Amino acid sequence: MAGTIVADTLTHSTAGSIATNYVVDGSAKVWVNFDFASTTERDALNLSSITDNGTADMTLTFSSAMGNANYATTGMSGEVSGTGVPDGVVQAARNGGYSGAFTTTTTRLRCTNLAGSAVERGFAAVAMMGDLA
Amino acid sequence: MQTPDFKGTHLFDRLCWAKENLDGVQSDYRVVYEDSIDECAKILVPDPNWMACALQGGILPPVWVYHELAKDEAQPNFKKHTRGYLLHTTEPMPAMTEEQAIEYLIMKDVPQHVWQEWNTGNKPKMVICRKEQLPSTREWRNAWKITEDLTATDIAA
Repeated sequence: MAGTIVADTLTHSTAGSIATNYVVDGSAKVWVNFDFASTTERDALNLSSITDNGTADMTLTFSSAMGNANYATTGMSGEVSGTGVPDGVVQAARNGGYSGAFTTTTTRLRCTNLAGSAVERGFAAVAMMGDLA
Repeated sequence: MQTPDFKGTHLFDRLCWAKENLDGVQSDYRVVYEDSIDECAKILVPDPNWMACALQGGILPPVWVYHELAKDEAQPNFKKHTRGYLLHTTEPMPAMTEEQAIEYLIMKDVPQHVWQEWNTGNKPKMVICRKEQLPSTREWRNAWKITEDLTATDIAA
């Protein structure tokens, strides 16, 4: 592609050097900001679809597959509407065990409150870090 | 906008190019399917950036590439993908219509046992519909099923 810079190391004038594989390996390969209640995306990268599996239960499917299923997923969700109470947790769905929640092209997620009950928050954001296939 | 010649370019790089240069396309189509009798009906929503790639052409690999990778992943001794190059080196798909893109997405993101035998049981396991045909609220969401009262016209439509 045009505009390609090939470099193994980035060096700052005073702060030192960093290998570019920190950037390649450490950046999010998939991310999405979406509404759990309406399955509506605000923005995303490297998704092909979101599947609404039921109340507060979603599967994200990727376009460019991860290299293996051991990537890291991080997520957050919004508060109870208007209360300021942080009461939403995005977690890996456990249907069939955690091993079923992650494949190289899908992640199944649930959103719960702190008591563990399924809740559909209007704001959720999820990112995956790992190696691409 | 003309798609650059992407054959051999990593798929992730193509997707980044598309995100920077193409407007997302929010499809009105939804795919409703049932893949387990123990679970409610699921609803697949296409990603707008992905749909833009499908309509643009020259970005997405053929769907058989994903099926090959899925076969590899299903092997009991699978550790990591060794044929990921298929995503990047296979000739990209030409521009699709929205309907062709939905068919492609079904074959990519819906379990194969659903779309290969979607109409062999007592009722269809999968239906393509428009967003406004879904219930307007999510009341009793975990009890939603595909109706048994679909007519041949409904299915053909």
